[in-house]
Amino acid sequence: MAPEVTYKKSVEEAIGNPKLSKALHLFGDAYLIARENAFRGLDFQEMRTELAAIKDEVRIRRKELLAEFIKNAEAAGSKVFLAKDTKEANEYVINLAKQKKAKLIAKSKSMVSEEAHLNKALEAHGIRAAETDLGEWIVQLAGQRPSHMVMPAIHMFKEEVAELFSKEAGKHLAPEIKALVDHARERLRKEYFNADIGLTGANFLVANTGGIGLVTNEGNARLCATLPKVHVVFAGIHKLVRNIEDAIKITRLLPRNATGQLLTSYVTWIRGGVPVDGVQKEQHIVLIDGGREALFESKACQDALRCIQCGACANVCPVYQTVGGHVFGSIYISAIGIILTAFYEGLDKAKEITRACIGCRSCVAVCPAKIDLEEIILHLRNEVSKEYGMGAIKNVAFKAIMKNRGLFHNLVRAASKLQLPVTQKNRSESGPRIIRHLPMHFMAKDYTEWRDLPAIAEKPFRDQFGTIVQNVVKPLYRVGFFVGCGADFVYPEVGVSLIKVLNALNVEVVFPKTQNCCGIPALYSGDTETGEYLAKQSVQAFTDADVDYILSICPTCTMAVKRDFVERLADHPQWSAKAMALSNKTMDASAFLENVLGASAKLGSAGPQKTVTYHDSCHLKRGSNVWKEPRALLACSGHRVEEMKNSDRCCGFGGTYSFLSHPQISRQITKDKVETILATGVKTVATDCPGCMIMLKGAVGKTDATIRCAHTIELLAESLEMKK
Amino acid sequence: MTENRIDRFIESAKRVGAEVLRKENLQEAAAYIAGKAQGTTLVPETPLARRHGLRALLSEAGVNVFTKGFREAGHLPGAGVTFSNFAMADTGTVVLESTDENIRLATTLPEIHFVLVDPATILRDNLAAAEPMNAFHQDAAPKFIAYITGPSRTADIERVLTIGCHGPRELHILLVDNISSDLLEN
Repeated sequence: MAPEVTYKKSVEEAIGNPKLSKALHLFGDAYLIARENAFRGLDFQEMRTELAAIKDEVRIRRKELLAEFIKNAEAAGSKVFLAKDTKEANEYVINLAKQKKAKLIAKSKSMVSEEAHLNKALEAHGIRAAETDLGEWIVQLAGQRPSHMVMPAIHMFKEEVAELFSKEAGKHLAPEIKALVDHARERLRKEYFNADIGLTGANFLVANTGGIGLVTNEGNARLCATLPKVHVVFAGIHKLVRNIEDAIKITRLLPRNATGQLLTSYVTWIRGGVPVDGVQKEQHIVLIDGGREALFESKACQDALRCIQCGACANVCPVYQTVGGHVFGSIYISAIGIILTAFYEGLDKAKEITRACIGCRSCVAVCPAKIDLEEIILHLRNEVSKEYGMGAIKNVAFKAIMKNRGLFHNLVRAASKLQLPVTQKNRSESGPRIIRHLPMHFMAKDYTEWRDLPAIAEKPFRDQFGTIVQNVVKPLYRVGFFVGCGADFVYPEVGVSLIKVLNALNVEVVFPKTQNCCGIPALYSGDTETGEYLAKQSVQAFTDADVDYILSICPTCTMAVKRDFVERLADHPQWSAKAMALSNKTMDASAFLENVLGASAKLGSAGPQKTVTYHDSCHLKRGSNVWKEPRALLACSGHRVEEMKNSDRCCGFGGTYSFLSHPQISRQITKDKVETILATGVKTVATDCPGCMIMLKGAVGKTDATIRCAHTIELLAESLEMKK
Repeated sequence: MTENRIDRFIESAKRVGAEVLRKENLQEAAAYIAGKAQGTTLVPETPLARRHGLRALLSEAGVNVFTKGFREAGHLPGAGVTFSNFAMADTGTVVLESTDENIRLATTLPEIHFVLVDPATILRDNLAAAEPMNAFHQDAAPKFIAYITGPSRTADIERVLTIGCHGPRELHILLVDNISSDLLEN
């Protein structure tokens, strides 16, 4: 089977197993609470900024620090071997085992040994590797690979574990967790005592002591490092830190962010050959490159090696929660897994999963090493597109059509006529049109079976703007409106509302007509060339408009204009200077209303009359740190916000993700969102993103047509109308 | 100030499932251990243990102190009794310089680990531990230093927290004044 087909099948199989997804959701919810408690009284932002700086310093000085580590380790009696790849590392251990006539190696958790397929390599030489971490042992007995970095067997249930243990023990064991753990405790004790070699990983390689650090909970690593006569440390070179202070700082972040613990049960610091049964232990440290040096050298991706392997990026990932780590990852899973797979196993192995990220940035928000995972994944997606193409539909859509603004906009206008036979009026006659069923039955399963698609507006915003009369004398500001495709062609009424609200606060709106799509859909699909082209069009349009601020009602467009244009045009100094000037005055409309105009104070409180629930769009909250502002605007316009559970969890839209690359996964993520909305019992959902509106209107509408979904700006405009 | 630190340590250690008690002296601590320890008890002969006559105190209290090589005590001995070097209040952690293999065996193998801590050695937090940790590494000698925070635990089956995986199922911390205020000694 072609890899694409195998991948698609694995996605479908995972979605067909709701038990796993349910367990991962429960875990994700509990994790957020535990993590919040663990960081109480500490400044996470400050801590992660410091960690990022430590890791960056280590990257720059890595050669010198590696030499220092080796010198100090050898002085304490360790033997150090530098392996250029995992194959060399495996060979070293195999040779050592042969030399010692070793038959059994007791292993504690080591992700790099998974990467090396060490157990298999040892087995081929008649050497048995006994995994002693409970999760790893379960996975080993099942003949699988870990599906989570910290909890390898998170995908399995106690009944399956009982079956595996019973088979191995040759007796029936009941599916009771405590009894199963007790069984493992007794059973694995033999392995430490009988093993010729104990193998552990390392969380740190401390340069100024030559020692390693191990952060664990079960106590098996301590036994592996104590009982056998020989200790092998199997570690990636990126585990280097400068000194004990650095390592201590990591221990303050790692357990808190991984499992919500202030510290794990054990942190073990080992240097050199400690005494073992009356003699000095032989300690071998195998330091593995295996693609890490190439990653250190990659300007666009190097931050990924700041990773301390806490697994948080998986815990909060809606895609991971939907399909699990066996689908969304390889050896390493979820967001960081995409990047590491590309570098450690090759870009072709990461081809499918680079597209599986929905771009919600929840991983970026919790990363303890401040890695912009989404940014790096987008870069790799672009590499994949360059190497393997991005698919025919996107090729025509982005390259041939979108770059030509006139053609693009005329095609959309034409489409609004062509869709007439399939659209139906929504609820009332005056309601917007939606597409309830697509005539293409073969596609209906993925597209309209579970959500209505919005119809394209009869008249896009760009064709309405000229007819809107703005009665603003001596405006406080002239602002440029970056409309974005969603508001331009699907929800032009939101743009009209924005003008009403701004005019009421004495602000004039300018609409530069030559602006084009922000380019994110092309960019997220890995087409940077089109992205750059589109950026130039809009940068020129807004530079010429000469406005005080640039506002958007789409958080993704805001991020594009504010952050991405500058980076996208970095190679063209005159363009990037223009982009930078625009960036400084670009913000989301609700942020402008609240933070620049002080709208909620000016408009006063209307007193709560209506109840709404609020969905935080990913790019508004995690892209622009705007979430208080829309709530303040809703409150001042007579709305009481009844918070939904996980209000900032992705709605499943993700742009082309939900249409082209992963509609099946989107569908599941959206289902979660709809459930949390329904659970509030509230009849109006407010949000600040046309993309979220497409998703929520479509999916909520299919479930309960009496629930309304509106942009905050629309609700604000309505309340102003009422006041009149 | 010191009392605050002790209170914080007790609270943190209890939160992770350790038993923490204050005892007047080592005789009282030994009596407590005798009441809880079952089966073979491993008591490493460290400098502090010798100075305080720990083995004798425990034997007199009725503890079954194992006198042969610790590797002969079976795969799952009953208990281990050790001193600590220092502790950390923010996480409820005890720190044992465990280069002596007997300390490692006495703290990894048994069902219950009893650890005797001088309250004067409780540090404010993990960051404050950098100083003694650096002091341990002044020379080039092999070192094994263990941070222990509560009993052994796992959540590897269905993410359900289960106490007592591969290490001790119980950790009893006994605070006794005037053991030794030297952080580098145990």
